[in-house]
Amino acid sequence: MKIKISYLGIVLVLLLLVGCGSQPPVRDHEVNTRVRAPASEESAGVQVYSLQNPAVKQLTAQAEGAERAGDLDQAGSYLERALRIQPRDPQVLQYMAEIKLQKEDYQQALNFAVRSYDSGPRVGEICSRNWRTISVAREHLKDANGASDAEQRASQCMNTRPAAF
Amino acid sequence: MASKVKKTRAKRRKTTQKKTAKQKPGILRRLFRLAMLLVGLGIGLGVPWVIWLDMQVRDEFEGRIWDVPSRVYARPLSLYTGKALSKESLLAELRAAGYRKTSQASAPGSYSVSGNRFDIHRRAFAFDDGSAPETRFLLNLSGGSISSISDVSGSGDSGLVRLDPAEIASIYPLHDEDRTLVALTDVPGLLVTGLQAVEDRQFKHHHGVALRSIARAFVANLKAGRAVQGGSTLTQQLVKNYFLSSERTLVRKANEAIMALLLELHYDKAHILEAYINEIFLGQQGKHAIHGFGRASEFYFDRPLQDLEPQQIALLVGMVRGASLYNPRRNPQRARQRRDQVLDIFATTGLMSAGEIKTAKAQPLGVTEKPRSGGSRYPAFLDLVRRQLRRDYRASDLRSEGLRIFTTLAPSEQEYAQLAVSNGLKELQQRGLPDDLQSALVLADVASGEVRALVGDRVAGRNYFNRALDARRQIGSVIKPLVYLLALEHVDDYNLITPVKDEPISLRQPDGSLWSPANYDHKSHGEVPLMEALIRSYNQATVQVGLNVGVANLIRKIRQLGVNAEIPAVPATLLGAVELTPIEVTQMFQSLAAGGYSVPLRSVTAVLTPHGELLSRYPLRLMPLEHRDAIAVLNFALTQVVEQGTARSLHGLLGNDTLIAGKTGTTNERRDSWFVGYTRDRVAVSWVGRDDNRPAGVTGGNAAMRVWAGLFRNLPFEPFDLRMPDGVNFVWVDIPQQALTDPSCSGAVQIPFIEGSEPGRSTKCLQKQDRKNRKSLWRKWFEDKN
Repeated sequence: MKIKISYLGIVLVLLLLVGCGSQPPVRDHEVNTRVRAPASEESAGVQVYSLQNPAVKQLTAQAEGAERAGDLDQAGSYLERALRIQPRDPQVLQYMAEIKLQKEDYQQALNFAVRSYDSGPRVGEICSRNWRTISVAREHLKDANGASDAEQRASQCMNTRPAAF
Repeated sequence: MASKVKKTRAKRRKTTQKKTAKQKPGILRRLFRLAMLLVGLGIGLGVPWVIWLDMQVRDEFEGRIWDVPSRVYARPLSLYTGKALSKESLLAELRAAGYRKTSQASAPGSYSVSGNRFDIHRRAFAFDDGSAPETRFLLNLSGGSISSISDVSGSGDSGLVRLDPAEIASIYPLHDEDRTLVALTDVPGLLVTGLQAVEDRQFKHHHGVALRSIARAFVANLKAGRAVQGGSTLTQQLVKNYFLSSERTLVRKANEAIMALLLELHYDKAHILEAYINEIFLGQQGKHAIHGFGRASEFYFDRPLQDLEPQQIALLVGMVRGASLYNPRRNPQRARQRRDQVLDIFATTGLMSAGEIKTAKAQPLGVTEKPRSGGSRYPAFLDLVRRQLRRDYRASDLRSEGLRIFTTLAPSEQEYAQLAVSNGLKELQQRGLPDDLQSALVLADVASGEVRALVGDRVAGRNYFNRALDARRQIGSVIKPLVYLLALEHVDDYNLITPVKDEPISLRQPDGSLWSPANYDHKSHGEVPLMEALIRSYNQATVQVGLNVGVANLIRKIRQLGVNAEIPAVPATLLGAVELTPIEVTQMFQSLAAGGYSVPLRSVTAVLTPHGELLSRYPLRLMPLEHRDAIAVLNFALTQVVEQGTARSLHGLLGNDTLIAGKTGTTNERRDSWFVGYTRDRVAVSWVGRDDNRPAGVTGGNAAMRVWAGLFRNLPFEPFDLRMPDGVNFVWVDIPQQALTDPSCSGAVQIPFIEGSEPGRSTKCLQKQDRKNRKSLWRKWFEDKN
């Protein structure tokens, strides 16, 4: 596990925020507003990189392309292929959870996010995305208490900052 | 409606009769009325009847879609830098996918290899998630994995390349038989003409029924005083085959004739003949019927239809009249007579010259001693594919023409699995075990549940009994991990070091008899830590723990893990007096191997129509179980079964000491031997025993584990991962003291505990220990004790 401060990341996040301010985003799905944006904001560029296999990286990029094009099935299919190669890659598992969230398959979104948390760093941005996804999914599954617990857990992801930071 | 018509007609007839009595009309008029009556009846009853028959026969004919069967593909092999892959495996995958080795891979579907450097020219292929153009790439292997993969100019990493998958079979998903389909253009000319010469000389001219042949047969039969000749056309025979029944009634015959006429109306001669050649019944192997000349050619001669010699073709043509009567293996003399008779017909119809006939007749029958099973090389796996298709898809979808079915089979791994079984049993025989042992082996991916290999018989390609799917056998000690899992879920009562009693125990069975299980070594071991009872597979301790957790809960647990078999609620269930199939056991342990993320085992990933539309995909669905913390702790204990318990000889068999979780199983009187083993990425279950369930002298350690090791010796795999989920921590403890301790203390052992289940007190060191000894302490503790 490597911890890196990416200044470029901070700049990008800031640019993104500026961009959000001036122009409303095309898609305002809750996966962006309630999972990705807050997690990214909180972590403010703190990234926990796991070593990603080049093939997995390629498939993830293809999935991103498919998601941007609005083809969630195709995105899911790329991620499934990536999971065949690295079944416990926390980033791919979380990404799959976010795709499931957009497809309104809340139970599977929850399951993939939990799996990602179990095999992930349990800290930092991905941790926050894990718990935020879990929270949103539980909300849709009518588990209000569970949702607020998960919200609580998401806020703790940044408390235990790695020693190197 | 028909009955209404009938009534009106009957009424009319009555009035007519009255009139007749009075007026006595002419004979012609009476005949005319009778004819009208018959026509009316014919239309009223006959038309719906014919429409019904038409539906039946067309449904059958089109349901088989004999010209476009469904193609079944193996999983495509993904190639990327860093992927673990041996040269042998890559060669096996290329071979299975039909790649030709050439000096330079200039054409798609070819490759060249020098040393560890491959030049592969991939074909264009429509994968289930999109098409890929043909491409040529260079691949280097080193140290058991892909060290580089680049496009043919050698510049830059190609990233991920998928090999087009092996086509493993053509099937009709709704039918059980394995068929080897042949296109009419590939059928030897002598078979096409010979069939007509022997069975139906008017084939080209009739419309489904040949009155002349019927008349000829009638005369011949009358002369002989019994049925010696049939007047059925090839079309009638085809219809008869669709609705196989030995019933010989007139109504049946009439139905067949009508359906034959209807078939001829809808389809041309070439289609009908092709269907006939692929459909006709030519033998029986166990519960599987041998249909079609392509399959029969393999079954009797072990060669493709195109390679048959004239006398072999004559034999098969002769068998059309009675596949069992002229069975060349069972009735060689009769078969030979029939063959020569057919050859004579070939001669009289000018299909062969007198000289050729003489040579042909001098040849022996030429059938192989034992039938080659399955037309496919992977009949056992295809069995699973068929069952899952029928379970998960609508029959109407499966009936459509030319589906493309994408499966999870890894051809190289299937090859290794079959070798592991075949060679493993041979080796056991040499070690003095019985020569009629059988075995089954299932290999799946842990996280996806995708079945990579499935072996159901010691003989490759034979599949009259698929033991991997159908052999229900007692699982013995393989059940024990579940008993201990239930215990570990009770955080307040159990952890891995909780002392449990291994002492004689007697229980009243539901039938009133007394059950007193003994240990394998016929000793009781007194009070032992829970983990020791598991890794040494103590029966008496397991029953003690099992009675605490409850048999009903154990059965519920088995269900949760995805198994739906009948399980008796008796104490003996605690020791595995439960009959499960190898695939069910694999399902059970997939859930554990994946840390509680259960997925249904699957062999099919997607089904596409010929136009590339997705019928449906099986998406990866996770089903997390509760108590994943207990599963993680149990998995640690199961790695210790291999490190120092009943499976400790596994490392020797594998030739390495990679961390593996496993469990052996043996049943009463050594009838069954089981081994379940899993790594981070793979789970496999092997079974060895006798089909008739007699004592076989096998134990989990001496038989099934050898088969398992035979497979894993050839597979790349990742060591089992001991990373614990949230809420489970490794803690240093002193086992005899049942207390927390300092890592530096003598006797300190590091073991995972679910938070809250750790010992409540600490102990002080009596003696400090050497730092370098710490790692192997758990082992040391065992060694000191024994």
